[in-house]
Order: sequence, then C-alpha cells, then structure tokens
Amino acid sequence: MFTELRFALGRLRGRILGWGIGLGLYSLWMIWLYEDVAQMDLEGYLEAFPREMMVFFGGIMELASPAGFLDTYYFSLMTLIIGILAIGVGAGLLVNDEEAGILDLVLAHPIGRTALFWGRYLSLVLCLAIVLVIGQLGWILPPQSAAMELTWVEFMMPVLPLLAVLLLFGTLALFLSTALPSGRLASAVSGGLLVGNYLFVGLARLDEGLEPLVRLTPLHYYQGGWAVRGLEWGWLAGLLAASVVMALGAWGLFLRRDIRVGGEHEWGLGRSVRRLLGRTHRPERAAVQES
Amino acid sequence: MNDVLAIEIRGLEKAYGPVWALRGVDLEVPRGEVFGFLGPNGAGKTTTIRCMLDLIRPQAGAIRVLGLDPQAEPTAVRARVGYLPGELNLEPNLRVRATLRYLAALRGNRIDWGYVEQLAARLQLGLDTPVKNLSKGNKQKVGIIQALMARPDLLLLDEPTAGLDPLMQQEVYRLVEEAASAGATVFFSSHVISEVEVLASRVAIIRQGRIVETVAPRQLLSMTTRRVRLRFMETVDAQILAEAPGVTVLNEDDATSATLQVEGTMDGLIKALVHLPVADLQTEHPSLEELFLAYYKGQGEAA
Repeated sequence: MFTELRFALGRLRGRILGWGIGLGLYSLWMIWLYEDVAQMDLEGYLEAFPREMMVFFGGIMELASPAGFLDTYYFSLMTLIIGILAIGVGAGLLVNDEEAGILDLVLAHPIGRTALFWGRYLSLVLCLAIVLVIGQLGWILPPQSAAMELTWVEFMMPVLPLLAVLLLFGTLALFLSTALPSGRLASAVSGGLLVGNYLFVGLARLDEGLEPLVRLTPLHYYQGGWAVRGLEWGWLAGLLAASVVMALGAWGLFLRRDIRVGGEHEWGLGRSVRRLLGRTHRPERAAVQES
Repeated sequence: MNDVLAIEIRGLEKAYGPVWALRGVDLEVPRGEVFGFLGPNGAGKTTTIRCMLDLIRPQAGAIRVLGLDPQAEPTAVRARVGYLPGELNLEPNLRVRATLRYLAALRGNRIDWGYVEQLAARLQLGLDTPVKNLSKGNKQKVGIIQALMARPDLLLLDEPTAGLDPLMQQEVYRLVEEAASAGATVFFSSHVISEVEVLASRVAIIRQGRIVETVAPRQLLSMTTRRVRLRFMETVDAQILAEAPGVTVLNEDDATSATLQVEGTMDGLIKALVHLPVADLQTEHPSLEELFLAYYKGQGEAA
C-alpha cells in the first residue's frame, strides 16, 4: 500500500505545489487587506445590496470580523475552487490509469486491489491536506495576521471542515468513477452536484421553506470561516463518515469488477431493458469481440 | 487439479455484455514448457491471459496457475508470474529506470538490478530515457524487461515481439529460451505462425473463444500450403518440379522463373532443386487465416 501511496503522491506533486502556492499567495494578498477592510464602515454600504446576491458570499455581513472576513474571502469560495482539484483527483485516482491501460500492468504485479485502492485514496487525503495547509500558511505567517488576533490553532480550525467537504466530493467522484463508464462523466456529475449544493444552500437562506431539504445536503453542515469560533464536531464527524461510507462503496465496487481496457465498458442500458422485457438472461454466444 | 501443471484451465467462459469472448476453454500447460497460444485478433487470447491474472472474472470455469486459484490468491499468483500485456501502456512522465523501479517496488524490491541492466543492454534500451519519448518498439522492450526481471516461474507474454524489428525479435526469442532453460514455464500468445514455430514446443489454436486444436508446431506446417517463387540462372523447364511430392506449378512467369504451391514440408522441393541453377528463392508464409482454412478443409475431407 505504501509503495502505491508514494507513487500516487509523486504523480500529484505538481498539482500539490501549484495549488498550494497559488492559494498561499492569494491568502497573503488577503491578509494584507484585512486591517484596511476591518477599519472601513462597510455595513451600511453592504446593506444596500440585494439580499438575493449577498447570500452567496458567506459571512460578508460581518466582514470586519476575522471569522466573517475569512469566510467571505476564502472558506466560502474554496469549496468550489479547491473542489475542482478534489473532484479531478478523485475521479482520476483509479480510472485515469484504467482508461490509459496502465492499471492492467500494475495489477499484474503482486499488489492486491485493496492495497492499491487504499494507497491511492490516502494520496487523495494527503494531497488535499497539504494543499490546504500550504494555503493556510499565507494567512498565518505574515505579521499582518496579528491584526486578526487569532492563535495558530484558531487559524487552522476552519481547514478541518473544508478538508472534510472536499474529501466528501472527491470521494463521491471516486465512487462514481468506479460505477460509471468513464472518469470524465464521474467528474461532471460530481462537479454538478457540488455547484448545485452551493447554490441550493444560498437559496435556502432566502426561502425558509427549503430548510428541511437543504439539511439533507453536505454543504449545510460546512462551517466555513466560522470555525475559528469553535468547531461543530458533530458536523465534521458526519461529513467524514459520509466520505468513509462512499470510500467503502467505491472499494467494494473496485474489488468486484473487471479491470477494463479501452472500449470495454458500456452503460448496459440496452441489456437491462432486454432483461426487463424477459428476452434474455444470459449473454448470447454469437460473436467474439476482444482478444 | 494437478501440481505438475503450470496452467490448468477447465471450461472457461467469459462474456463482455452480450458478447462471448471465451466459450469453454480447456488448457493444460506442464511446468517448464514453452507453450504457444495462436489465434487471430479477437479469438480470446488476451481474455484468457487476463483471467489467469484475475484482472477480469470469468462467468464459468476453473483456473489454476502454478497450483493456485487466481481469484482466491491473486497476489500469490502474480508474485510468481511475469506478464507482458498485449497493449502495453506505461506512465508517460517517468523515465524507464523509474518505471522499472516502481514495478520492482511492487514486487517488494526483490529484483537483481544488475540483471535489469543486462537485459536493457541486450535489448539496446537506455534506462534514462523518458517513457513519453520512446517508440512503440522501445516501449515493448520495457515491457519485456519488466516481465523478465523478477525471473518468474511463469511468463505470460501477450504478443511479445509486436513492434520489434527482426533483430530484436531474435534477441527476445533468445531471452525466452534462456528463461525456459532456467526452468520457467512460458505461455505466449501470437497471431504469427513463424514465431510459434520458432519458440513453442506445443501450440494451442484458439478461434472464436474455443480451443480448436493443440498440436506440435511442425504439424501446423503439414496442415497448410505455401507459395514459392523461383528464379533460375538459365532457362529451365519448371514442370519437372511438379513431380516433387506436394508441389504444384502455378505458372511459369518466363523461361527463367516460376511460381509454385507447396503442400506440407519443403523437403521434396528442396531435393528437387538440388541439380537446378537456382538464382533466388522466395517463400510466402501462410497467414493464420490460410492455416485455419486449410485446417477446416482437412477436417471436412476427413469427415
């Protein structure tokens, strides 16, 4: 498992450095602005904006507070932005190599599917954790961070819920990649669900009638920057548990199914319809497709 | 199931959706044998090999590889098998050395690296070349090295010389023969009859997911015909060659050349040519499809 973890992390190092440094520079820029923003009287100005717009900007109505600033300028957006990385890595974790025909050779070596799966899954977890920590250093290291009057621990606390949410959508992409015919489709579906959930949470702030429904979605349990005031451990555990359940599901599917080579997989809808119609229960021994 | 056998397959069936790739394959390969698996594209060669490694799961049938069940003990089987896929794909962003180091690490680093360098030298492959810069033939060499480097008990080689030039093909034949001499069992698939003739002590012919026949390679030749073109240094009456066993004169292109058809071995023709002034002789090997046609024609006549 650790051979596969090292190999998978090595392949992700470009993305880890690129995303980590990019986020770190963005954080540096933002912490530079904080003191000026905190001293500005923005509340009256912001109240002039329509509520329909403001609900999508996290804690913007408390922009002068560290929690509101962090939430507005970083943690509310990063579910979507780093979500691209999480979903991309998750969907491609196994299927990219499978679609490229590389997995056929790897799994012909004495490594079990379980070790391969969990080694690579651990690389997803570490990739996201390292990117988030590098990004967070941009908030913590400059002297301007003193203006927020937060400890290192308080600065790091919102990283946990963000990691949990990203892991959940990354794991969803992994699960779908093992169930759907292509990694690209798994990315598209997972990305659509993430963006849809983000918009739905905003809409639920406008319409209280949506509250029971939004409670069924993961982003409702995402604290964002407000976690500097204390973690909701139950929410965090719930998000992580959902990731674990999906990872177990993906593992189970990966253990059971054939390792595909190009062009083998299909939706099987026609077959399902034929079965429903009772036309056939067994494949026809008609022709041979693959050598 | 038998411990003397390296590979034992009974009633193997595999379908991809509605299409059957294997329709009851039975095979026995004793330990230490070099066994050819001959069949046209789409016959089920790759599917059979991938079932042996538990990369795909059959619908029915039983497989034992080196006495082990690949589905029950996949890593134990793979630890003793070297595999060359039919369509070899490698991580493009690694160098050859890093690729082989990674694959060696999957084997617990129990690899003699001196042997790897020796194999690379024999195949004229630079270990520091990025994989993405390799030609198809050079990628194939990486595949051959990784299959051989652990000195496995069983080599499963799917079209081992695909993409290699004739000199490298000869080197691969020598490597396979050396592995067999060291005690390894070699199971290789091919759709090239001449390759099977050179390497295998027995060959199974698979067609449309079924084993049609298991024969010695020389029997393949006796099943079929080949075309021979002759050019002479002076005018010759080629009709005298028609008296040689198995030879038919198809046409005399001019007084100094002729095209013949030879059934079975070339022995009769060669003996008939001894006293003739031959300038050039070209033979066309029968294709696999021609072999199958000859085989089924023979079966029809027997019936």
